[in-house]
Amino acid sequence: MTNNKEIVKGEEVTLEIKPGMNILEVNKQLAQKNKELLQEHNVKAIDIMGSIGAGKTSLIEQLVQALKQKYRIAVFKGDLTTTIDAERIGRHGVKVVTINTGLECHLDANVVARAVERISLQDIDLLIIENVGNLICPAEFPLGTEKRVVVVSVTEGPYMVLKHPFTFMTADVMVVNKKDLAEIMKIDTSQLAKQAKDIKPDMKVAITNALTGEGIEDLINALEL
Amino acid sequence: MHELAMATQLVENVLEEAKKYDAKKVAEVHLTIGKLTFLGVEQMRFSYDILTKDTIMKDSKLIITEKDGVIECQSCGYKGKVPIEDDPAYHVPVPTLRCPKCREAAKIVEGKECTIMSIRILKQQECKDDCKRCRC
Repeated sequence: MTNNKEIVKGEEVTLEIKPGMNILEVNKQLAQKNKELLQEHNVKAIDIMGSIGAGKTSLIEQLVQALKQKYRIAVFKGDLTTTIDAERIGRHGVKVVTINTGLECHLDANVVARAVERISLQDIDLLIIENVGNLICPAEFPLGTEKRVVVVSVTEGPYMVLKHPFTFMTADVMVVNKKDLAEIMKIDTSQLAKQAKDIKPDMKVAITNALTGEGIEDLINALEL
Repeated sequence: MHELAMATQLVENVLEEAKKYDAKKVAEVHLTIGKLTFLGVEQMRFSYDILTKDTIMKDSKLIITEKDGVIECQSCGYKGKVPIEDDPAYHVPVPTLRCPKCREAAKIVEGKECTIMSIRILKQQECKDDCKRCRC
């Protein structure tokens, strides 16, 4: 407040206020709180981002199936309005909380904090969060997870990585899904992996077919689970 | 894509600040947007105009300064602009977190902000006891 400059002109006063307020910082701070809360309860958390139809839900079904003996799992499912995916995941016998964002194009740390209130952290060891199907906006909003996964599928074309470098910069693991269609789509999955590593040198990559479960072991290793 | 949500927060925050100082009008808002955010300047302006229409921020100027991204390397200590990978096979220059000095993975330290730097408000001059001009 001491920085404020006041200019008096007649009866009117012009005042320059310098709040220096970072609007995006609000989410970051909430994310940090989520992170601390999850760590206190020894819960590992993963945020899964990717376009609509990339195969996020199928991958989660595979992950849940492969890991549910080892971990007590809960899944948060971000979706605009429906519960279709939540029901799919729920069939595997894990706790699912749907986060309907209405019109919002991403999850943020605040809605995740609200969802955390609906589960008992003492009863889980692994929290998987499926973000809203969108490759852009979710990248702006860290949720407080330990790791972030970005899923692309070969049917999205050869330029998914190059077109969204800033999204890939925010991820720790990339999944290239639908590997069975790579040849038909004339996509070289190793090229997508190389591009991701060119953008983010410490990126781990798993090439998968989420329908059959192929490559899920690689993803589990990449996630250090 | 989420500029409307961000602009809503911006307008709410500015109005709150302005209220603290009994502003009768907001004249200018200076905003810095990092180039590593996913916020488009044009979309921000568009949302801003719509959101401020019925407030004391109506017709105020939104002045946006874009800020370059800066990375820092944990291995060798390099700190500087986000390097551009110019692999001819990619056809487009691609920004990278690879440290230009030691090729290790660097971290983003600047360029992810959306900060309200300053706000210029107009307010009525405070009443002095014997000013005789005001009607209070």
